[in-house]
Amino acid sequence: MALLLRSMARPGFQVCRSQFGVLYRHAVPMGTTAKEEMNKFWDKNTRLNRPMSPHLTIYRWSIPMVMSITFRGTGVGLSGGISLFAVAAMVLPGNYPEYLDLIHSLSYGPQFLAFTKFALAFPVSYHTLNGIRHLAWDTGKGFKIPEVYRSGYVVCALSVLASIGLACL
Amino acid sequence: MAALVRFGSVCHRGVNPLRSVLHARLLVGQQRDAERPYLLTAKIHTSTPSYSGSGSKAASLHWTGERLVSIILLGLGPLAYFCPGPLVDYPLAATLALHGHWGLGQVLTDYVHGDAKIKVANTSLFILSTVTFAGLCYFNYNDVGICKAVALLWNK
Repeated sequence: MALLLRSMARPGFQVCRSQFGVLYRHAVPMGTTAKEEMNKFWDKNTRLNRPMSPHLTIYRWSIPMVMSITFRGTGVGLSGGISLFAVAAMVLPGNYPEYLDLIHSLSYGPQFLAFTKFALAFPVSYHTLNGIRHLAWDTGKGFKIPEVYRSGYVVCALSVLASIGLACL
Repeated sequence: MAALVRFGSVCHRGVNPLRSVLHARLLVGQQRDAERPYLLTAKIHTSTPSYSGSGSKAASLHWTGERLVSIILLGLGPLAYFCPGPLVDYPLAATLALHGHWGLGQVLTDYVHGDAKIKVANTSLFILSTVTFAGLCYFNYNDVGICKAVALLWNK
């Protein structure tokens, strides 16, 4: 079966449109939307208390996979940080320079400051650079697997360099 | 499998001669299938001609909006560095809040299932994003503003 499907995918296989229509004639249009189908799937499986197949625990981690979840993690983290800052701005008394002076007096030396700057700059630069990579994908470019890996390495390297650069500003 | 076998036999004329080995296998399969002449129907999501044009473009526009906001945010970065001030602070607040709102929305769509849970999650997100935008605007108005805040933090 897999052999059949694989050979159909090879460029030598000519499919005439009129003949392909024969298979399509056997297609029955569904009365439900994709969203409804997804909900039905989840409702049935949670109702029957079915366990989920192992995924994260068994799949081999790859660079694109790690970069993707890091992209999501930095996004959620940055967003959470901004929200926290916004809430603090409204709730806490006093103004921003006062709190900066407070942190000034607490800080443990120049290395600590450089490190915190790097720790703040890295999520921003990684998320920004990988975001550009995503936008390139949205134009349809760079989907070949070697290209995915190459662009991934470039993003990682540039993120580190940019974070170091920003921390030194 | 039977449907594919039938498909393969129907497409015989279009098959490359190099596929004759495959075709031989299909013939064998078809002889076995002769005893089961039922039709396998594929349930496919199709839009009938009467449907075309009456669908909502909301999802597509949302997607485009997300990319546009991302690009605007990319532009605001260097702008914030070279031209700090309220003219950049407020658009930055709006773009950051919207980009974060839509981004977290995608995360919720991926991981939250069930109509009730989805509704609760999206409402909470909406409240969070509103509060975030309000807080950032409050900071821009009553305090030093986003650009100045980053500058002060960096020049410690």
